[in-house]
Amino acid sequence: MMDIALYSLVDDMVSKAGTEGVVEYWLRVGESYAERMGKEAYVGWPAFNVAMKEGRTALTMEGDVNVLTDLAITDRDGDVIGYVYALKTCPMAPTMNRYIQKIGPLPESDGDVSDSFNVRIQDSAVCNYCITHQKFREVASNNITVAKQELECLQLANKGRLGEVKMLPENLSRINVDERHIKSILRSASCVYALVIKGKTISDGELGL
Amino acid sequence: MIIVAEEINSNPFIDVSVFLFFEDIADKQGVEGFTNYMISQAESLAKAVPEEEYETWDDFANAVSAGESVFSSFEGIKQISSNGFVTEICPFSNAIREYIKRLGNFNKVHQEATDHYNNTVQPSAAFSACMMHQTYRQEVAKRIKIGGKPLNYAQIAAKAYTGHVAMPPEAWKKVLLSKAGVSETQGYMEMRENACLYVLYAQD
Repeated sequence: MMDIALYSLVDDMVSKAGTEGVVEYWLRVGESYAERMGKEAYVGWPAFNVAMKEGRTALTMEGDVNVLTDLAITDRDGDVIGYVYALKTCPMAPTMNRYIQKIGPLPESDGDVSDSFNVRIQDSAVCNYCITHQKFREVASNNITVAKQELECLQLANKGRLGEVKMLPENLSRINVDERHIKSILRSASCVYALVIKGKTISDGELGL
Repeated sequence: MIIVAEEINSNPFIDVSVFLFFEDIADKQGVEGFTNYMISQAESLAKAVPEEEYETWDDFANAVSAGESVFSSFEGIKQISSNGFVTEICPFSNAIREYIKRLGNFNKVHQEATDHYNNTVQPSAAFSACMMHQTYRQEVAKRIKIGGKPLNYAQIAAKAYTGHVAMPPEAWKKVLLSKAGVSETQGYMEMRENACLYVLYAQD
């Protein structure tokens, strides 16, 4: 019942604090949620990826993740600086289905809040909950170190309940992954993101001779 | 979109974040803001559910027990007497368990809001989520008619995850138990096995 309440809470808050106010609330919730999960350290990418597969990291609290080890992100030296991950099911999906089943159509405020976020902050939300969810990942990944290096989360793409897709071309180009490849991953996932060593890019490293 | 008939369970990530949302409201607007939002959103939720009408009391009681009424959309309800009903498992227990498992102790603002509600609205909440739950029941009852008469709801007892049971003052308790057709001893026995005890009746 707690999750169902979320829709009426957002609806109620939009009428009191406006869509921008709700976006701010959701961003703060995502941040405090991740902060309260604490810090994690892994000796290297294999250890971290096993923890992701087994659901032992703060990031996997949102659900099962496909670790796409075939999509290692490397710099110019060929050193691995990150990987791509696919969240199998959107954590909000069961709540949406239950709301529709028990109550009726989702309130319009859901789309109003995500539109406000998309226009003002980042065009990556397909529902109001993406705001907290993506912020949570951003902060939680900063609290994780792999080989003593802090991680950074790059949101790549996500898919809404009715099939609408949001892509972030600037993040895709940063890790040099083709949009078509990500679309094929989205056929069996809800959300695709990359975790990379903070500040690293594919153009880092020595040029080969 | 196809919706399956089986029970759909929520993702604990969402449940926990809703608790944090309320904590954030409390940071900005205090315990009163927390309480007001909990009550207000439960009223909004209840207003969004479809209205219902039943010809007889038995039709309604059977629908509630079978989980077919909007009154039992989010909880498993059992009829224990003519007008006495219990909720076997608190519908927030999973969310509470996940919060404790993932984040640790509950923020003290939940208890402060519970106390605020008990002092300013009615002394019936055992935990902050009870405010939402009991308001939802109160408001959804108004959307149900039995033989043309509106349904009424009154809370008798609620048990928190800590084991604490919230009960009304002695004078109210006697009236409510009598209306439910439940003795005091039976009421205590029911609260050993269930999360919530309340009375439902059609207004005369």
